[in-house]
Amino acid sequence: MMKILLINGSPKKKMSASGFLLTLQSLFVRGDIQRESLRTKGDHGRILKKLKDTGTVIFFLPLYVDGVPSHVLYFMKDMEGYCRVNQIHLKVYLISNAGFIEGKQNEALMQVFKNFCHACACEWCGGIGIGGGVMLNVLRILFFVFAGIFLLGIIISGVQRGDWLPVEAIEIFLRQIAIIVFLYSGVLFYMIRMAGAVNKGEFSGVKYTRVLVPSFLFIIIANIFFIIISLGKGGIFRGWLR
Amino acid sequence: MRVIIHDLENKYNKLLLQKCDRIIVVDGKYSACRGCFNCWTKHPAECFIKDSLHEVSKEIGRADELIIITENYYGMYSPPVKNILDRSIGISTPMSIYRGKEMHHTTRYGMRELLSVYAYGEMTDAERESFLFMIKRNALNLGYKHYSFTYLESIGGLGEI
Ligand SMILES: Cc1cc2nc3c(=O)[nH]c(=O)nc-3n(C[C@H](O)[C@H](O)[C@H](O)COP(=O)(O)O)c2cc1C
Repeated sequence: MMKILLINGSPKKKMSASGFLLTLQSLFVRGDIQRESLRTKGDHGRILKKLKDTGTVIFFLPLYVDGVPSHVLYFMKDMEGYCRVNQIHLKVYLISNAGFIEGKQNEALMQVFKNFCHACACEWCGGIGIGGGVMLNVLRILFFVFAGIFLLGIIISGVQRGDWLPVEAIEIFLRQIAIIVFLYSGVLFYMIRMAGAVNKGEFSGVKYTRVLVPSFLFIIIANIFFIIISLGKGGIFRGWLR
Repeated sequence: MRVIIHDLENKYNKLLLQKCDRIIVVDGKYSACRGCFNCWTKHPAECFIKDSLHEVSKEIGRADELIIITENYYGMYSPPVKNILDRSIGISTPMSIYRGKEMHHTTRYGMRELLSVYAYGEMTDAERESFLFMIKRNALNLGYKHYSFTYLESIGGLGEI
């Protein structure tokens, strides 16, 4: 059986949005799924070897300066050579995420991937460009925070009042989850659609989506986020904006 | 100030130095960006990786004109050139605004004049279109008022830069 290879192209060791999207997509794609992490040149040989018995590759990439991160570009060149020499013709999908809110900011990267597929005689099967990547990450952390608070609330209410099903706490938790799912809904919709196309081996189209927050609000939140992080790391006291 | 980033052989440095104030050496002997954002949040415009690109944001950010000469890779820069761009996001600050009706970071060194890209090597029509689009996007994103793209049929065309 031909494998489906999911490649996380984020250089981050943990907490990458690309890694999270990969985990999410592996819930929807059917078949013999393999996961790989592409962070340095040392990963090339191992991943290339896997291409021989792979039918489909899905790349999960962060958008870097409107395009492919340089370490992934090095890999693409090696992959082009490997596919040509070994006559490998893969189906290639891409899920990219940008820091900015507009999913459309991934468009140049999508074009480069299409050109890449053409160069290595692989089949470009489409992609999803997602806006608001950092917030996707924050939301998943929030999910666990809310779940933790919810569990704690149940335990306290159970021990103190013998009420192990506190309706109010359940209501609050469900409301919180509903908001997170709503913010994710565009991303989930297109990922499930793409998974359907992957399962049938079809072209999925090129789609752009985002965290469903108005952009002016996203900008305010992003600025507050970076002020807090820069306070914590000290950059704000070291010529932050100069 | 005019800065050139090029991935040609070193023998072209003499010619190119006549056309700019500084050349950023593209030797590929530097690390890729690790995506930590410390060049925004910890030590602004400096990378925590102590190699030749440690302060490249300052060099690029302070030049009003950036010229990039690069081999074409699928309608974008070659990997070692892209590596430099990835490591230089410190030219922007972490704060965001609207620019060109989209979200972008504010520029640390103000808006700069010109981003010129010269690409060489085999290039399909689709790649040429993508490259032009990429440069347009980069100019907006990185804070250049103008941009230009030239396809170099041969390296001999360098004289026109
Ligand atoms: C070097 C670098 C360049 C980036 N360039 C862009 C960009 O041009 N546009 C954008 O929207 N986000 C940009 N980002 C933000 C990332 O795309 C965003 O943080 C993404 O969620 C990271 O994904 P990851 O967690 O999977 O690595 C850049 C980040 C880094 C580190």
